[in-house]
Amino acid sequence: MSAMPRTSADRAPAADRAPAEHEHVEAGAAQAEHGWTHRHLLDVDVLSAADIDLAMQTADEMKEILGRPIPKVPTLRGTQVTILFYEASTRTRVSFEVAAKNLSADVVNIAASSSSVVKGESLVDTIRTIEALGADMIVMRHGRSGAPYLAAQVFSGHVLNGGDGWHAHPTQALLDLYTLRDRLPGGRVAGRKIVILGDILHSRVARSNVWTLTTMGADVWVCGPSTLLRGFDRWAASMPAGRRLTVTTDLRAALRGAHAVMALRLQQERMAGGLLPSLREYSMRYGLTAETLRWARADALVMHPGPMNEGVEIGPEIADFERSVVTDQVANGVAIRMALLYLLAGSGPIEEGRNRA
Amino acid sequence: MTARQIMTADDVRRAVVRISHEIVEKHGGTDRLAIVGVQRRGVPLARRVVDAIEEHEGVRPPIGALDITFYRDDLSMVAHQPIVKGTDLPFDVNGLTIVIVDDVLYTGRTARAAMDALMDFGRPSAIRLAVLVDRGHRELPIRADHVGKNVPTSRDEVIRVHVTEFDGADEVVIDRLAVAEVRA
Amino acid sequence: MPETPFVGQRAEVLELDDAWLVDPVSGREGRGSVRVQDGVLVSVEWAGDASGSEGSDAGTAERPSILVAPAFVDIHVHLRQPGREDAETIASGLAAAAHGGYGTVCAMANTTPAIDTAGLVEDELATARRSGSPVRLLPYGTITAGRRGETLSHMGEMADAGAVGFSDDGSPVADASLFRNALAYAGSLGRMLVEHAEEPSLVKGAEANEGLVATILGLRGWPAAGEEGAVARDIAILAEVVASYPGTATPHLHLTHLSTAGSVELVRRAKAAGLPVTCDVTPHHLAFHDGWVAGDRRFAWEAAGTPWSGGTADALPFDQSTRVNPPLRTPADALALWAGLADGTVDAIATDHAPHTQVDKLVEFGDALPGISGIETAWSLVQAGVDAGLLPLARAVDVLTTGPARVLGRSASAPSGRRRSREALVPGLVEGVPATLVLIDTADTWEIAPETLRSKGHNTPLLGRRLRGRVLATIVDGRFAYADLEVPEPIA
Repeated sequence: MSAMPRTSADRAPAADRAPAEHEHVEAGAAQAEHGWTHRHLLDVDVLSAADIDLAMQTADEMKEILGRPIPKVPTLRGTQVTILFYEASTRTRVSFEVAAKNLSADVVNIAASSSSVVKGESLVDTIRTIEALGADMIVMRHGRSGAPYLAAQVFSGHVLNGGDGWHAHPTQALLDLYTLRDRLPGGRVAGRKIVILGDILHSRVARSNVWTLTTMGADVWVCGPSTLLRGFDRWAASMPAGRRLTVTTDLRAALRGAHAVMALRLQQERMAGGLLPSLREYSMRYGLTAETLRWARADALVMHPGPMNEGVEIGPEIADFERSVVTDQVANGVAIRMALLYLLAGSGPIEEGRNRA
Repeated sequence: MTARQIMTADDVRRAVVRISHEIVEKHGGTDRLAIVGVQRRGVPLARRVVDAIEEHEGVRPPIGALDITFYRDDLSMVAHQPIVKGTDLPFDVNGLTIVIVDDVLYTGRTARAAMDALMDFGRPSAIRLAVLVDRGHRELPIRADHVGKNVPTSRDEVIRVHVTEFDGADEVVIDRLAVAEVRA
Repeated sequence: MPETPFVGQRAEVLELDDAWLVDPVSGREGRGSVRVQDGVLVSVEWAGDASGSEGSDAGTAERPSILVAPAFVDIHVHLRQPGREDAETIASGLAAAAHGGYGTVCAMANTTPAIDTAGLVEDELATARRSGSPVRLLPYGTITAGRRGETLSHMGEMADAGAVGFSDDGSPVADASLFRNALAYAGSLGRMLVEHAEEPSLVKGAEANEGLVATILGLRGWPAAGEEGAVARDIAILAEVVASYPGTATPHLHLTHLSTAGSVELVRRAKAAGLPVTCDVTPHHLAFHDGWVAGDRRFAWEAAGTPWSGGTADALPFDQSTRVNPPLRTPADALALWAGLADGTVDAIATDHAPHTQVDKLVEFGDALPGISGIETAWSLVQAGVDAGLLPLARAVDVLTTGPARVLGRSASAPSGRRRSREALVPGLVEGVPATLVLIDTADTWEIAPETLRSKGHNTPLLGRRLRGRVLATIVDGRFAYADLEVPEPIA
């Protein structure tokens, strides 16, 4: 149960491991390429910059497939992907489904409301049932932070976290990064000021983006009302050298010189919890509008993980703004999810402990 | 290591030139002809074939690169997913004669995957196969139209094609697989 | 579960020639030998001169590995009977206690039904007698009827039936007025209130200590203020009860499982002000920290950095066995608890042994029932801290024996009830009394595994780990409660 040291030795070049019955035995010693070693995708905190680069490159290839007249390849033929969502979701669920189908996987969709979950079946029993039904991969969304780790404990295949509680939303963060690399001048994220704005406290998108963006060297700012930033000062203070995270309640300071701004959805429940006085007050102070966006760089990109509350966290004039990359995010989501399904499908059962970079 | 050179840089060059002549001869010219290299070492070999055709025909056929990773039939047996190198077919494949260029022909599975991949892009009028080395041991009913060199091998041997672009030199060596490399 | 040999049998002949004796009653510690015959401690011989007076650690370097001390006292365990016999029974809980070196345990009242009448107290005592274990069970009754926090339970009747104190543990008495009344009323019975200090509105839905780990893992935070606010309230009410109620009332507030540096400081000040307050801390809050929720498995005193910055992640995060209430705190909090033990602010170590079934634990982290099955690993964790220099050995034994006995004995002068005096609970290493001892091989290790645990609850993050400090035998009132010994002569 010791931590697995992440050294280059653990990452045997993929080509070296190709089976001998294939022509492509690219066993050149010079080819110390970075292979994918993660059996599951539960969080992005375990991904190195090289892992993320590999995911991005693979997503590039998936985009090429998506550009074909028939965007479908036989790669995961015979692989059963079960999509198990305990929370309502349209875009993420459909995005995973399209991704899996583009790779020719067999897709089984389970919405918790229509399953035996409503009859009180435990998560562990549900996972075991899904396994017995032949699932090779489970894409899972759950309202409890950490639930995919429990699934990974009992499932012999691969678990892909499609969002758990406040904790993580790995594919969203990767598609956000992909979109930034695609749309930022020079395709560079390192050193760029990226602002995540809104309900940080309850946001798995914020947490995962903090990981991926700081890993890639971005200057990350999180901004919102103080009640929705609880705990993030501690995180910023504990960031190791080389990772930059700034926490502020000052929207103007956050937006000043920003290359991209990601607005998060504000949930109505936050009022009932006493965290905010009203949506109106929130949108007055923290809404991203044409006016507030003037504080950012003239070419700043506007992002939103969806679904948007237009008029609350984002002004309607911004939502379909020319620098809004919201539809890019959706399109890139399919490519990223294809890439992750592909990479995970080929990862062996090797991840015993974990080591965070 | 018991690596033994079976083709020198000159051998490789001569084989490529001969193949380029054969392709044009078989196709009856260069009209509606395209050359596609299979990632990775098929890609520089395809470029040389095209260069040679241009030299003796004065016409440069379109060239593309094909990554067959998504079409492999052995992904579940690979320890880690192969790195995808990219497919780039900057032309419409419909109605073309397409010559697939690869370094080694062995079981035939890569050629099968390459044909599947190509056909996902459209309907070529013909697909042909050119390889630098045919080492035998076919597992599928596939043969090459153009072969640089036939090399009888045993299954515990490996053919390594080196190209200047990736390996610093052009040559073909035959090697015996180390025990650890022979996988069940 | 392995059979424990000789349980309940009289310790006929037991000789230890070269052991390290710790007698917290006399404050004496040193090399020596003991002999038990027919269940009676017939001989205690200290080697050399009368060295090893209190505070002396002379000869520590060549301290023999076998430790002999009075059997431990645990003033906070959950035995789950009645109601959740699938998680633990009184019999399995007493077996686990004996395996942990304990001769006395005080069982919390949050069973189903809750222990809120004299009849239930008597049933519990009868079940303990029937178990055949010599380990003494001292039951708590609830503070409020049904633990509902609305009206007082039948405290007087329960005290007469043998309730050692009152507690709604598992939850606090949220209503401050009711709490004040309970403190005064229990005081008049000569019984303490054992309070689980928690401000409900601050910890609603909480999953882990409010801090860096919870922030990164997206777990709902349980802030230190959720405990400290309640501790401050309880102490303020205690002061008011002392000042305003008739002199016959001797209120005694015991704050259990304190987990933060701030709580310890509040108690320190209250004690300095002369208030009748005592407190305990648990082995898991001493040894673990919130990094364990993230997969770190280093002890609190070894911790450095976080699992995400130079620290280690030895296990996957979100391990349900690390979910406990109050939550595992920061390493700094843990060190403050050790300091509180060392300076006397903290009176006792209590395990809050909280066995749970796999069904209740192998669920989403936030839905897992809080609690650690800890009575069997308590000594090993305490010894780890002693070995790390956080507490002298003699003080460690003190807070496991005479410390909790003093907490229980504060109100021993009370007129009612069949209570044992503190001397009877922890007789010390004196000749001529029925042997109540624990023998520990401090050099040997043991593996924490489902097969080695006597408790039905295997919910501990220590599973799979080897720890130093193996209990060889627990003897209570002259009888074996647990023994894993090479016995020279056949017993009986």
